[in-house]
Amino acid sequence: MTFHDAAARDFPPYSTDACIKCNVCTTVCPVARVTDDFPGPKYVGPQAQRFRGPGVGRDAPDHTVDLCSGCGICTRACPAGVLIAETNNRARAAIVSERGSSIRNRVISDTDLIARFGVPLAPLANIGLKNPISRWMGEKVLGVHRRGPLATFARRTFTSSWKRRAGATALPATPDPERTLVYFHGCAVNAFEPDLGRDAVEILERNGFSVIVPRQECCGLPFISNGLYDHARTKARRNLAVLAEFANAGYRIVGTSTSCTHALKAEYREMLDLADADAAAVADATWDICELLLDLHDRGDLDTHFAPVVEQLPYHPPCQLKSHGIGTPAMDLFALVPGLRAVDSDHDCCGAAGTYGLKAERWQIAHDVGAPLFDKVRAARTSGASRAACDSETCRWQIEQSTGVPTVHPVTILAESYRRADAAVGEPWRRIV
Amino acid sequence: MIGAGLSGLSCAAELAEGGARVFLAAKGMATTHWTHGGLDVAAPAGARTLRDGIATLAGARNHPYRTLATDAEASVAAHLARTATEGLEHAGSLDSPLVPIPTAIGSLRPAAILPAAQAAVLGSWAGERLLLVGFAGYRDAWAAYAARNLRHADWPGGPSEIRAADVELPELEQRHNIAPQVLARMFEDPAWRTKALSAISAAMPGDAWRIGMPAVLGLDAHAAVHAATERALGSRVFEIPSLPPSVPGMRLFEALRRRILGAAGRIQIGFDVVDVERTGNRVVAIHTEAASRTLRIAADAFVLASGGIGGAGIRAGHDGALTERVFGLPVSAPSRELWFSDDPLRPHPLEAAGIEVDANLTPRELENVRVIGSALAGMHYLDERCGDGVALASAHRAAVSLASNRAVAA
Repeated sequence: MTFHDAAARDFPPYSTDACIKCNVCTTVCPVARVTDDFPGPKYVGPQAQRFRGPGVGRDAPDHTVDLCSGCGICTRACPAGVLIAETNNRARAAIVSERGSSIRNRVISDTDLIARFGVPLAPLANIGLKNPISRWMGEKVLGVHRRGPLATFARRTFTSSWKRRAGATALPATPDPERTLVYFHGCAVNAFEPDLGRDAVEILERNGFSVIVPRQECCGLPFISNGLYDHARTKARRNLAVLAEFANAGYRIVGTSTSCTHALKAEYREMLDLADADAAAVADATWDICELLLDLHDRGDLDTHFAPVVEQLPYHPPCQLKSHGIGTPAMDLFALVPGLRAVDSDHDCCGAAGTYGLKAERWQIAHDVGAPLFDKVRAARTSGASRAACDSETCRWQIEQSTGVPTVHPVTILAESYRRADAAVGEPWRRIV
Repeated sequence: MIGAGLSGLSCAAELAEGGARVFLAAKGMATTHWTHGGLDVAAPAGARTLRDGIATLAGARNHPYRTLATDAEASVAAHLARTATEGLEHAGSLDSPLVPIPTAIGSLRPAAILPAAQAAVLGSWAGERLLLVGFAGYRDAWAAYAARNLRHADWPGGPSEIRAADVELPELEQRHNIAPQVLARMFEDPAWRTKALSAISAAMPGDAWRIGMPAVLGLDAHAAVHAATERALGSRVFEIPSLPPSVPGMRLFEALRRRILGAAGRIQIGFDVVDVERTGNRVVAIHTEAASRTLRIAADAFVLASGGIGGAGIRAGHDGALTERVFGLPVSAPSRELWFSDDPLRPHPLEAAGIEVDANLTPRELENVRVIGSALAGMHYLDERCGDGVALASAHRAAVSLASNRAVAA
């Protein structure tokens, strides 16, 4: 590692020195593909970066950086190793800390707060979420696009079901980090998709793990994406305080959202400068659930008694998964299920990018970015697919909202296959949470 | 496969087509997006055909063509057939005459094999006139500048007259990012294209001109866009590649990428190799950088297609030490005193830096590794215009060698 690489690791904008201005990033940028208002990663990244920072004026030179959706494709495509998306994210945060943030962005980033009000009021709140008039008002008053992808609230949070089940929340009396996992459900499973949490726990328990679900908050990624680093740091510190205890004791942390797990693995350090030993331990201990299951399989430890699930399945690997650098483990897991024919969407981004696609002024961009994907999913439905799969919640909602095709997490399909296998041998499936 | 340039993509495609399970990992996109999209097989000074050029270079000390020359013909033919099945046709062969063709700044370079969209430049001029078309507001190609330079250039057998036309394309003044890929996508829109082509047609001084135009005539649908352009203008039209990002290069990348995926290969971009597991003189696995722990990729064989000093497969440290970034293979290079030249426009001696290999492209230290493309030692690819030919020939040699190993193992 050169001095340059080492410096960039601590502070991504340093990497912009390596830019050779080849514009490869601009050719792969999904946002630049659909709107002229965004001049592309190179302009708002390495070019503009020279004019940012202490001593060169307080005003950020190029506010179009806020049109970056943060998908990270530019960083992965860069032949020179420039951390373009990370640099742009920090630039947005600098603008936000100078000029403040809209109320809308603060609200849609605060998923825990939304859940606190939404879940107890679920039946009513969900009517509001589905109602065209209230959605129209939401757009006019708050700036949340009336067709922005929103999920409906669960009647009961995942954590309250967990409490009811008397599930473990703390370190076990007898340490067993090999066969015990910590589940980071994130805000989406907790408030919107508790069934996914149940599927995950069921799969992990079936494979011989005990599962602990400690107290946790939203990972903070929505705040990071909206440049609200101080708010994100508060969330991150609280999560780290809890999770570090497990990580330092050798326990693995597994998540079902590639967005949350990427925040734990990378963003806490790269964006929020939380570079202490606890953050490093948590990052090293964190696994995406498909990454973990495939690792089990590679070691010959995965229960492969999968019953056939005969269907063709369009699968979209989300941008956040791609940033993990682990490939597409779900595709390898799907290959273990007899009859299942998963087809990679081979499309860069669904457009949602967390909260981006919710914003009234960004919705059209998000929709245009995802349009070729939506066409593929609709075409798959025409040829018989009944659903699609994707590892990240906001991408799933975006695909569902735009195509009407139900979209599930990969582990939901695996759990279904396991249950069918149990039913086939006459063992009734017990709902475990 | 480590690397996503022409050699890596081509070798991955050949192996995947042959039934091997191929995983291509690259730290980023590679040189396809920087190049002109034609095939520089071998055109050292004095060569009349590419076959001529290959023979000359095969006689040069240490040149990769010393062992690879015999694979040039088959590998070029396979590449042209492979890209044609993905809609990327070419013209020319190893025996076509190398002719001077204009660049975006109005210099001349020799070429013999070009993609179909550029191929109209290869035909004899025999008194024909050349019209260079530029687009107002598109900053990567200045027709008037190129025309002026070409009029002063020594162009034997060139056009009888050279003119430039700067065309106002419809709706362009409302756009603020006129990058090549943006224009290429606009040309794929039939409604806009009709308007654009009539604007170009209106700017033509009469009809008996062969037309050179910036290489932005479509991406995936480029063959149809090119045909529609020639039809509308009633002239033969050739594209001239300009500054990166190169639209012809993007088409080439896409054609080979589709080919690899179609043969069940996998491609991961953004996967930088950070560690290597070895047992004796075999590589067992590579580890690529990931958000937390590295990703381990095990394989029976590894192909190093990570580029030379220009593509950053080889790095020069501040102390002048050269490192091959993936496996740490010893780099053969001119000594430090020879890194200097009186003429800054001459190719740098370090171009020749690379890895020494045997006839199967195996480096001395690692028996299940093959080295291909510009990571190979001994060529001056800018001067000799041989980078694409060596990439294809070495990719083919490596694929054949690994396929025969598989056959033996089976």
